[in-house]
Amino acid sequence: MKLLVSWLRDFVDLRQPVAEVASTLSMCGFEVAGIEADEVIDFEITANRPDCLSVAGLAREAATAFDVPLRLPWADPAGHSVTSGARAVPTPSRIDGERISVSIEAPDLCPRYAAALAEVTIGPSPDWLAARLTAAGVRPINNVVDVTNYVLLEIGHPLHAFDLERLDGRRLCARRARPGERIRTLDGEARALDPEMLVIADGSSAQAVAGVMGGAASEVWSGTRVIALESAYFKPASVRRTSKRLGLKSEASTRFERGTDINVPVVALERACSLLERIGAGRPVGAPIDVYPAPRGPVDLTLRRERIDWLLGVGVDDGEVARILTGLGFAVTGVPGGWRVSVPTRRVDVLREADLIEEVARHFGYDKVPSHFPPLRAVAPRPDPRMARKALVRHVLAAAGFSEAVSWTFIDAADAAPFAGPGEAPVPLAYPLSEKFAVLRPSLLPGLVDGVAHNRRHQIRDVRLFEVGASFSAAEGERHRVAFALTGAGVMEHWGGGMRPADFFDAVGVVERLGEALALPLRFADSTASCLVPGRAAAVSVGETTVGAVGLLVPAESERRGLPGGDEIFVAELDLDAIDRLAPIADTEVRALPRFPSIVRDISVVIDERLRSQQVRETIQRVAPATLVGMREFDRYKGQGIPEGRYSLSLRLTFRASDRTLTDADVQEAMERIMAALATEHGAIQR
Amino acid sequence: MPEAADIDRLRAEFEAALAGAATEPTLREVRDRYLARKGGVIAALMKAVSGAAPADRPVLGKLANQFKHDVEEAIEARRASLESGRPAADSVDVTLPGRQAPLGHLHPLTLVRQQIESIFSRMGYEILEGPEVEDDYHNFEALNMPPEHPARDMQDTFFLANPVPQTGLGTPGTRTSTRPAPPDRPATLLRTHTSAMQIRYMEAHEPPVRIVAIGKVFRRDNPDLTHTPMFHQFEGLLVDDGVTFADLKGTLTAFVREIFAPDTKVMFRPSFFPYTEPSAEMFIGCVFCAGAGCPVCKRTGWLEILGSGMVHPSVLEAVGYDAERYSGFAFGTGIERVAMLKYGVDDIRLFYENDLRFLEQFSF
Ligand SMILES: [Zn+2]
Repeated sequence: MKLLVSWLRDFVDLRQPVAEVASTLSMCGFEVAGIEADEVIDFEITANRPDCLSVAGLAREAATAFDVPLRLPWADPAGHSVTSGARAVPTPSRIDGERISVSIEAPDLCPRYAAALAEVTIGPSPDWLAARLTAAGVRPINNVVDVTNYVLLEIGHPLHAFDLERLDGRRLCARRARPGERIRTLDGEARALDPEMLVIADGSSAQAVAGVMGGAASEVWSGTRVIALESAYFKPASVRRTSKRLGLKSEASTRFERGTDINVPVVALERACSLLERIGAGRPVGAPIDVYPAPRGPVDLTLRRERIDWLLGVGVDDGEVARILTGLGFAVTGVPGGWRVSVPTRRVDVLREADLIEEVARHFGYDKVPSHFPPLRAVAPRPDPRMARKALVRHVLAAAGFSEAVSWTFIDAADAAPFAGPGEAPVPLAYPLSEKFAVLRPSLLPGLVDGVAHNRRHQIRDVRLFEVGASFSAAEGERHRVAFALTGAGVMEHWGGGMRPADFFDAVGVVERLGEALALPLRFADSTASCLVPGRAAAVSVGETTVGAVGLLVPAESERRGLPGGDEIFVAELDLDAIDRLAPIADTEVRALPRFPSIVRDISVVIDERLRSQQVRETIQRVAPATLVGMREFDRYKGQGIPEGRYSLSLRLTFRASDRTLTDADVQEAMERIMAALATEHGAIQR
Repeated sequence: MPEAADIDRLRAEFEAALAGAATEPTLREVRDRYLARKGGVIAALMKAVSGAAPADRPVLGKLANQFKHDVEEAIEARRASLESGRPAADSVDVTLPGRQAPLGHLHPLTLVRQQIESIFSRMGYEILEGPEVEDDYHNFEALNMPPEHPARDMQDTFFLANPVPQTGLGTPGTRTSTRPAPPDRPATLLRTHTSAMQIRYMEAHEPPVRIVAIGKVFRRDNPDLTHTPMFHQFEGLLVDDGVTFADLKGTLTAFVREIFAPDTKVMFRPSFFPYTEPSAEMFIGCVFCAGAGCPVCKRTGWLEILGSGMVHPSVLEAVGYDAERYSGFAFGTGIERVAMLKYGVDDIRLFYENDLRFLEQFSF
């Protein structure tokens, strides 16, 4: 809202410079976006204050803020129109040979419709009026349209002028649009209407989209002789819906959809007619017609004195409370313990006591409210363990060399598809911002692949990224996950040598490290995940529950996302929600330290190359005595001396008893049992 | 008169002096001290030997000559070594880089988030996340924004094409309320603010309530220098007996002085949010120009930092609280906004590019 300060001074006797007017009003809640030419203040008016989308509304605020009287050249409508507007029946009217009939068919969408007729001579506006409009950011068009815009800016009430002679049957009717009805609006667009939209129609067709924009067919033009001026009240929700559906916004719709003053339409008509006369553009014909079947008066609220202090933490002097509210146009009567406050209908935002306290606080000054630290009466609840787990995961991965990424929650459908669960489609948005942001990510991996590609494009070879966040599926809703991507060096380049590229087991090592940090006994098995290369992909599980996967990203996918063909991208993703359910965080219970020495034995077996070491380990575990306390693969060999289709696997086994020193014989017996089981179950041959 | 033991002592002193002579000038000093013809240690020793008892003279003379020879040789060797710059055979170049296991970096938004969480935890707040997909009731209606409310335009919304089940980290731990649990509603939109979580919490808990909800939110903004369709927010809520606007001012002032600087200037100005009444916008003295006026603060010396206000009684009533008895305040802002001010980031999109050259500037 651009406010010309000299216009404001018509209504309030302010000597303060423009900058001070701006800063004072800004401290009352009217944000200043800018000051132009030291005469126009551009305010950002919040959605709750449509009454201040006008010079009069801001004048009322300024008068209260500077404690000076407000002088409006029209009667305040709050008090009088309840009685004067009570004409319940649609009234066909004939005035000086011109007549118009006005009716409301949809009183739920249009509770009040007033109109006035005026004989006019279309021409340019006088300079002073054109200059005021221009300063306020409105382009002058002709004297009649300019007067409607002038009243819109001054009082905040939208008017619309029809060319009376272009209205079929000289009638105006507020009704719902008919199915299939169309209208060409003033901007030249043909628009399809639907029966939930309110239109202003003449005898045959819609002539305006009510509260949004007039129609081209009855537009005022250079030959217009008589105008019908509309001044109505439309239901905010209806105007908002229509404006959204048509994708059409106007100065009028902005005000109607936030709520105009239902008691101001006749005042606005009278103001417009007097302006037309003053600038020699025309003269009113007869008195306005006003269809207002169910007049509404001001609402009375009670403001309790003690509630001001109760809510603000500071008391406000009684006289100051009354001065502020009266200045803002509320009628205030003292009652025991406080005030009865009558709220004018233009204040659509004031509905209950707290709203009145805000009015008092705004003009009392937020800076005068003291600063106080609220007492803490109880210990804060313990933190959510699931969030603590996420923090731990972040730190483990950062310590493993991974930097934290944050990528988009909505992604391209094509990028998402390979990462959706089997038989699942990603969740689409109804109206995405663009194709790039079309579906909710089914996995964090597409975003990480983008992150890797971005860094590779900037000559960074070694990329380690991770992300913790939510992914989505139609069946399961929101799932929290952690994922990482790794490419480039497995061991970093060093002058002492030892550099090597990352491989599958670097990625597995990171997953194992996470498992250890989260105290999860992870198991790995071959995976058939569609985004991973078979044979270099593992499903990760805890017990019977799959919690994620790790492996080499399929090259087609990395190439499609702009990564160089030769790059190997290793990725992993774990489902934190599944892990939360499997492993509630519990305090550690410490085992006593061993008191007896351990015995270490190595075993090397030649086995079928299709056999997984996991199976070997499980067999050993099953037949070994409880004194087997450790087991680790330390060599895997294939080649000379090993038959085709087989490989040699070496494991180091550690035995220890908690109650005695083991003897060689104890361990020997265990080793024989283990070897026998491996031989019978897996055809293993000791090497 | 000198004895053999005196020569041994001189030898020990010399070795210590030589060990400390790691540069040419200090070596020159050592040489002058020991080998100068006039006043040198060796010259003095020779003179003393010549004055010794004749019987001792041959032995002492031999020892003294040996010592002189050793000193000359040692000084020459050290001189040569210093001149060539060559280190001893088993020494290393200690300035070469060590073997690195790579170290990753936490995202700046995580770092800011950790600080926010720490500050409010110390003030007794429970930190919560909530579901990113929400239903209309929790995101709008319960927050005093019925359908067609104009304030809904302030937060233009992403809707899902089809509802999905509500399974997020939404339901806060233990329900302490005996009021009936609200019905399960499938999620139909991406939350536009973390305020939705406040409703979920109040539905399940009786006052006093002290929570901070933190996480991603979504609004239909095309990406530019200061906007992205996804960003992060934190919102606090305190509901109790006798909570006032003064408490809001005190709490938020303490917060900004923790997260920015202890002498941060603050200002509160009336504003509008549908779920608070009265509403306030909080400003801090510009962190870039210290209030003098610069392009970032549009020459005002102030930066908008938090939206806040006293919880609207309709919101308290929507969750079944007695608005006559309880009052509260709520506040919130974007984590990106705090991070941009703290770290001097001038393009919000940098937070989502995952460029390692950006991420590696932040601490572990
Ligand atoms: Zn500045």
